[in-house]
Amino acid sequence: MRLSLVGLSHKTAPVEVRERLAFEDGDLGDALKSLAGFEGVSEAMILSTCNRVEVLAEGTDEHLIREFLCSYHRVPADSINDYLYGYRNHDVIRHVFRVAASLDSMIVGEPQILGQIKDAFRAAEDAGTTGTHIGSVMKRAFTVAKKVRTETAIARSAVSLSYAAVELARKIFGDLAGKTVMIIGASKMGELAAKHLKRSGVRSVMVTNRTFERAVDVARAFEGAAIPFDRLNDHVDRADIVISSTGAPHFVITRTLAERIIRRRKNRPMFFIDIAVPRDIEPAVNGVDNVFLYDIDDLQQVVDENLGERMTEAARAEEIIDLEVEAFWSRLRSRDVVPTIVDLQQALEVLRLDEIQRYGGDLGALSAEQREALDRLTRSMIRKILHSPISELKEMARRPDSQPHIDLIRKIFNVRDV
Amino acid sequence: MDIVLLRVALSLYSIGLVHSVVTVLSSRYTLFRVSLAAVVAGWICHAAAIALDAGEPVLTPLTDGYASFSYLAALAALGYLIAYARYRIASLSVFVFPVVFLLTFIAYMGRHASTSSVPAAIASGWIYVHLPLIFLGYAALPVSFAGSIMYLMQEHGLKSKHLTGFYRRLPALEVCDDLAYRSLAIGFPLITLGIVSGALWAQAELGTFWGSDLTVVLSLLTWFIYLLLIYSRLINGWRGKRAAYLAIAGFVCVLASFLGAGYFGGFHSFTP
Repeated sequence: MRLSLVGLSHKTAPVEVRERLAFEDGDLGDALKSLAGFEGVSEAMILSTCNRVEVLAEGTDEHLIREFLCSYHRVPADSINDYLYGYRNHDVIRHVFRVAASLDSMIVGEPQILGQIKDAFRAAEDAGTTGTHIGSVMKRAFTVAKKVRTETAIARSAVSLSYAAVELARKIFGDLAGKTVMIIGASKMGELAAKHLKRSGVRSVMVTNRTFERAVDVARAFEGAAIPFDRLNDHVDRADIVISSTGAPHFVITRTLAERIIRRRKNRPMFFIDIAVPRDIEPAVNGVDNVFLYDIDDLQQVVDENLGERMTEAARAEEIIDLEVEAFWSRLRSRDVVPTIVDLQQALEVLRLDEIQRYGGDLGALSAEQREALDRLTRSMIRKILHSPISELKEMARRPDSQPHIDLIRKIFNVRDV
Repeated sequence: MDIVLLRVALSLYSIGLVHSVVTVLSSRYTLFRVSLAAVVAGWICHAAAIALDAGEPVLTPLTDGYASFSYLAALAALGYLIAYARYRIASLSVFVFPVVFLLTFIAYMGRHASTSSVPAAIASGWIYVHLPLIFLGYAALPVSFAGSIMYLMQEHGLKSKHLTGFYRRLPALEVCDDLAYRSLAIGFPLITLGIVSGALWAQAELGTFWGSDLTVVLSLLTWFIYLLLIYSRLINGWRGKRAAYLAIAGFVCVLASFLGAGYFGGFHSFTP
């Protein structure tokens, strides 16, 4: 096995460099075939996303992959070399596992990367450039990524403000189906949060704005109802979730109003999200029973805590990956030496039979017993000769970077390459 | 009580206890599946122990005070399993499993402490109505109690805006509320019927509706608390924190009436 990987990511290269080395989806097949045409390359795969470009190949070294990147994208080597990282064998597996498990992502734990790797693998399969090596590494990487996802909380919590709002709404209401959301004022973030909520099952949307026409526009986008701003107090108690983002200099919803609303709602809980600066909702509203108020800083705090928790979970994920890499590596290695052992045994067996054929006649007529004794003698010699190289090979299976030694053993015994 | 089966049940329940402790300390549910299986297996052993009990099972709580703890434990576990089948809330187990273990443990430790026959004065057919109703009704209460505790924790987390660690594992606020209320809505009518049957029984045997022992007083107090809870929710929309506090107070009364039954004397005491 000679797996090598060369790539660059948001961690090592600015976007101007990343975009120069990116592969268009449509060109991927040709690029893969061109790489597979290089000498020694038996398998190849290319991952190209907006955050990273990585080229994985079996049967060659990093140097050749760098050459391929330069020639394919027609860029001089010294303009990109500083941004590239390269891995071999054991480290390739570790890197691939980490990337697939989203530990190397810009937002650790984001789920898209696994899908992108799966797409890249499929593209390589379609181009016919995958084989047993890349195939088994990738399949294992998918399993490990899934394991990390289920055994750690790395991707469990929201890390953007609008998703944090949805997450909180779920903490309060559980299922959002059948709930109503009201948007007061119109801002990009308010609409984004409402969009996420709607996608999570919220049934109806009410929109109100000082400019009624604007409310009508937004309401149309959500298939909701527009409410005149001066009628806000009459309708707000129908909303389970209120997202407020007006430009008003004073509070739109005061504690007194909130108390009145919650009485009208017979204490059914209510979630206020205040993303306006200056704030629209009096902070004391949070003190009303069954009312939960989050302003923009509160949401940010939730996001920060979630990110902090992701980091702790990432440390646990690294431990899982360490174990998985070692287990997978030693399995790959032992699989790697088995063909060599079989080749050795076969080559010497052929030799033995040839020699018996050639010199057997010199011994004259042999009885069945003598023939058998000759067989035993020669077999035993071969076994003794092979004993030490085979146990050495098995020992090597457990160590990284033993390929040159394996090659040397093959060479000494003159075993043909498979 | 078949002592071997009860011991097996207790050991299996202890896995549930370990799960609770581990979950609270590490906020991870690594042991949940194992402990759920253990509690199911423990419950089967427990039910078998009760079924194999010499004599008529229904009478046992009267002749052996500690057996009533065993009953309550088995019913609490059953209540949880039913709630789990309906809501799939793993975190509820954190609160119910220790209760199940503790009640079984009390039953196990004190199993020989008090054994007597049913007082002749009250041995009658009513016992077959009164006891099952009361016990089935009480099975719902630990679940309602745990739901209320989870509600208060979740509410506190949401208000204070810190939702890391164990808070993350709690079910949604409305789900906790729903769980606490619904289990009560099932348990309350059964307890009501149980109390009515008890009063009729007392009337038939003693000529008065009002047996004058503390268990009766505490049971009525519990009943009034739960009545207030359900009434104010239906009429005034009382829910949330206040409802949770009331449900917890109700459950404390239930425990007191059980624990105190032996000490207070009267018809519900188990010593002759």
